[in-house]
Amino acid sequence: MGFLVTTLIFIVVGIIASLCARICCNRGPSANLLHLTLIITATVCCWMMWAIVYLAQMKPLIVPILNETE
Amino acid sequence: MEYTYNLPPMDLMRSEKMTFVQLIIPVESAHRAVSYLGQLGLLQFRDLNDGKSPFQRTFVNQVKRCAEMSRKLRFFKDQIHKAGLVPSPNPASEPDVELEELEIQLAEHEHELIEMNSNSEKLRQTYNELLEFKMVLQKAGDFLVSSGNHAVAQETELSENVYSNDSYADSASLLEEEMQPGPSNQSGVRFISGIICKSKVLRFERTLFRATRGNMLFNQAPADDQIIDPASNEMVEKTVFVVFFSGEQARTKILKICESFGANCYPVPEDLTKRSQIIREVLSRSSDLEATLEAGLRHRDTALNTIGFYLSKWTNMVRREKAVYDVLNMLNFDVTKKCLVGEGWCPIFAKTRIQESLQRATFDCSSQVGIIFHVMDAVESPPTYFRTNHFTNAYQEIVDAYGVAKYQEANPAVYTIITFPFLFAVMFGDWGHGICLLLGALVLIVREKKLSSQKLDSFMEMLFGGRYLLLLMSLFSIYCGLIYNEFFSVPFHIFGHSAYKCRDATCSDAYSVGLVKYRDAYPFGVDPSWRGSRSELPFLNSLKMKMSILFGVVQMNLGIILSYFNARYFGNSLDIKYQFVPQMIFLNSLFGYLSLLIIIKWCTGSQADLYHVMIYMFLSPFEDLRDNKLFWGQSVLQVILLLSAVIAVPWMLFPKPFILKRLHTERFQGRTYGILGTSDMYNEEEPDSARHPHLDEFNFSEVFVHQMIHAIEFVLGAVSNTASYLRLWALSLAHSELSTVFYEKVLLLAWGYDNIVIRLIGLAVFAFATAFILLMMESLSAFLHALRLHWVEFQNKFYNGDGYKFKPFSFALLTDDDD
Repeated sequence: MGFLVTTLIFIVVGIIASLCARICCNRGPSANLLHLTLIITATVCCWMMWAIVYLAQMKPLIVPILNETE
Repeated sequence: MEYTYNLPPMDLMRSEKMTFVQLIIPVESAHRAVSYLGQLGLLQFRDLNDGKSPFQRTFVNQVKRCAEMSRKLRFFKDQIHKAGLVPSPNPASEPDVELEELEIQLAEHEHELIEMNSNSEKLRQTYNELLEFKMVLQKAGDFLVSSGNHAVAQETELSENVYSNDSYADSASLLEEEMQPGPSNQSGVRFISGIICKSKVLRFERTLFRATRGNMLFNQAPADDQIIDPASNEMVEKTVFVVFFSGEQARTKILKICESFGANCYPVPEDLTKRSQIIREVLSRSSDLEATLEAGLRHRDTALNTIGFYLSKWTNMVRREKAVYDVLNMLNFDVTKKCLVGEGWCPIFAKTRIQESLQRATFDCSSQVGIIFHVMDAVESPPTYFRTNHFTNAYQEIVDAYGVAKYQEANPAVYTIITFPFLFAVMFGDWGHGICLLLGALVLIVREKKLSSQKLDSFMEMLFGGRYLLLLMSLFSIYCGLIYNEFFSVPFHIFGHSAYKCRDATCSDAYSVGLVKYRDAYPFGVDPSWRGSRSELPFLNSLKMKMSILFGVVQMNLGIILSYFNARYFGNSLDIKYQFVPQMIFLNSLFGYLSLLIIIKWCTGSQADLYHVMIYMFLSPFEDLRDNKLFWGQSVLQVILLLSAVIAVPWMLFPKPFILKRLHTERFQGRTYGILGTSDMYNEEEPDSARHPHLDEFNFSEVFVHQMIHAIEFVLGAVSNTASYLRLWALSLAHSELSTVFYEKVLLLAWGYDNIVIRLIGLAVFAFATAFILLMMESLSAFLHALRLHWVEFQNKFYNGDGYKFKPFSFALLTDDDD
């Protein structure tokens, strides 16, 4: 799927989530800013986790060597 | 950058703005004003009478009365509990009772209850005695029939002659006359009958034997039923005894011994008819007494029930009154003795509401004089108040457990809401276990209303308080479990085909050389081919260690950026120039560079050894890189970064103390008379370490040592904190291995057999091991380590945490502790 495409998907999901939060619980500018911060933090954390695991597997130095199972 | 200056303040980021206020309340409206303020719950009173003992305060009598009333209420609660009733509040609400009336009512009720209790005690004692008498009559009768008939025959004739004409008189006189000593000293054998505790019988017999020198005959028989022993209020077994003896001296001796052993003596007539008559009388009297006792109990129960209707309401009222008087004790009388003066902290947003309550109190008291409420300056730092809801409360509490934020400094709880469950999930990653945690969290959240009204034990209370924490932890665990591709340690092919396959159709060298990568990387998460392979651990270890370093560097950078925002908020440009900038440079030129190298190595697939690169960057920076060259210009960049790091250390160590000293001498030039400065002067360049009351002192050595400690802590901490993040790797490896062991060595092993019993046992062991070891123990472990990472590695970059919490006077916050 490609690194950039999935990154774009994460960004789009983040934007949709913040729009939903703005629509569902609109409680004043300071509370909205808090919700936005939380959603951005969550999106960044989740994206980083995915990106690290993806990048590590892009050009691996070792390959799986199967175990001799019984 | 302009945009960030114009943003509205974020909700939970900084504590509420507080102001110090003074209240001047006329005495007649004081009580009402304080109780209205208690209902509002937004003002923290300062104790102006700190030095006085509790007995020197103004309202000590009222406090004593309230304490007395709460003692009476506790007594009622005890009595209700002992009677086995459950107090149910009266559905119909009665009008509120005044405190004096309540006092009188409580005194009456108490008096009534105590009287009822003592009466029923007395009745019960009499009833017990009658019961014992009945038993003695029944058992002793057997002895008398069997023994010494002929010896006593003369006496019975005599007694019959004396009493025959009264045999049909009313029973009371017969009983009474039987209590008198028997016919005068005949030298025949006489007896004493009674009842004694079973445990004492042996010693009793021996003592009697010794006292009468063996001239006695002791007969005993156990009583059929147990009796309540009045001394210990328990059911004991008793034994009926009859002692035959002769002589007056022996009689006195025996009576004394009976008394000392606590044996009750009851006279038993030897004549059979008289005995049966007396038995009948005793039975009728005891049934009468029983009826009386029961009526008394019913009466008491009704009284307790009526008390029970109002008990909770009264308890609340007394508790509130006591709290109001405690607060009134904190206020001072002013010179005219007609007003009470109080001081306290309140949030600025609550000022109008407080003023409204005070006006309402004045109006309700029909007082002529209004209550004065004005703002004052305070020397000390205000308390910290965060307005939290059900969701953010748990996170604020775990941040406060380490230290309450200083007034208006950045609150780490804002980021902790997301990063704490996320780091927990990195260590816990398994979407099967995550689903179990999610179910638990959902159960707690769905039954929120019901559980919040119940009284829970401490473990359940902690779990219930952290239900939203648990919810986020479980959601992130499911996400990380999907990334690690572990469902109870089993990988799945949810996101498409694996990227690896055998080199040829026979898969002959899959066990020696391994598979080959023929497509793009697996799109989401760890490739399922890795599980169970021999090279799984080297690959996953490398991945997880690098992941931990990356997360660590990002979180520490976030901490340092928060310290920038703190310095900007408090207007401390000194901190920005000489602390934030060198810290960023130092951390990122070393560990930020390491993170960059990690990412470049992954992207290019180079075989460079990163340990070698980092270590030789310090040891021999001008050497040629050869195999370890990852990108063009690496040597030059490494030298530049090393130089920046080396410059950053004295940059964060030396300038700040000297500049502070220069600022201090500039400000106080010529101020030899002492301090006239107000608090305005310190708003611009306020040094965060120099908030001492005696502002003319500037201890240069102290400031310098403080700065040195801070700098050394940061420099050494950069290495140790980064390494500390490796616990993310360690715990996730442990979780994965435990999970694998339980799956392969318990479940699969048991499933291999054909026997249904072994399969069930295997399933049960797997379920127990998963629930207790993986779900409970590993959760606690990951929780603890994620918490430590936040408290130490994240917060020591920016958090002071030396504030104190805002504790307003609020009725809602009164607990049962006072009782």
